Amino acid sequence: MAYLVRVSSVCHRGVRPLLFRSASLIRPLAAPKKDEGHSSLLTARIHATPSHYAVSGSSSASHHWKGERALSVILLSMGPLAYFYPGTVMDYSLAAVLTLHAHWGLGQVITDYAKGDSKIKMARAGLFLLSTVTFAGLCYFNYHDVGICKAVALLWSK
Amino acid sequence: MALVLRTATRQGLCSARMQFGVGYRHAVPMGTTAKDEMNKFWSKNAQLNRPLSPHVTIYRWSVPMIMSITHRGTGIVLSGGVSAFALAALLLPGSFPHYLDLVHTLEFGPALITASKFALSFPLTYHAYNGIRHLMWDAGKGFKIPQIYRSGYIVLALSILTSLGLTAL
Repeated sequence: MAYLVRVSSVCHRGVRPLLFRSASLIRPLAAPKKDEGHSSLLTARIHATPSHYAVSGSSSASHHWKGERALSVILLSMGPLAYFYPGTVMDYSLAAVLTLHAHWGLGQVITDYAKGDSKIKMARAGLFLLSTVTFAGLCYFNYHDVGICKAVALLWSK
Repeated sequence: MALVLRTATRQGLCSARMQFGVGYRHAVPMGTTAKDEMNKFWSKNAQLNRPLSPHVTIYRWSVPMIMSITHRGTGIVLSGGVSAFALAALLLPGSFPHYLDLVHTLEFGPALITASKFALSFPLTYHAYNGIRHLMWDAGKGFKIPQIYRSGYIVLALSILTSLGLTAL
């Protein structure tokens, strides 16, 4: 099977050529027919390790990732839902979902940029404090003041 | 010399493969975790005071790159705004309608009000639509470069249009 190869993607000539998508840069590369069965078997072996054979032995990271995506979908749906069904239940749900989504999102930012054990610990502690205060403040607002949905409505009616 | 070693090792691995069949499953795991390795790497660099190679200052910026960091930026700004609002609710004495009336008395012109509404709603719509784009990627869809650019432009267009719509409400 011939493989089409973009010359620029093989040569290390920097990023700019990759943006050139003209046909003249593409030419077929004759390649020997690979032993498909053997390579797929090898792939199966390499990827066969299920999570419980992994060093750490826990799939908590995987669950966290799934939880993050599920929460994102929930928060997306709460936009229109809050518009059509404002009220106390929506206010508190919004407070919880919003705070958790922000907490997890900022957690990813910390994971990406913070280096060094003590710096990471301090950043995580600070984030936990921030999220706790945020949730407390939003609940306080929902209880003692007009509530999130009404506040947005009032602000927008300006 | 290295070539001899490499070919010998390759043959050695081959025979090992033949012997053990699904040998990878029972391979002995490394003693350290990825996290440990990473920390060792970073602390060694910090200890030796090694300079960091230029990266974002020299690499050619592309639309997907800009959109990605904007997604993170809008996320931080939005959560910062929510936290600031929550803190204000806890610390300030008055009620929300009270402060809203205070702002009313400032009598901003309609242009400033419209601009403020757009400035508030755009980060939200951008983050929401680009968030959907991210979820599509998480589902495994749309990774080809033309698709990435197309979905990116669609997100930008939808964000501006929705934000304008919300501003008009």
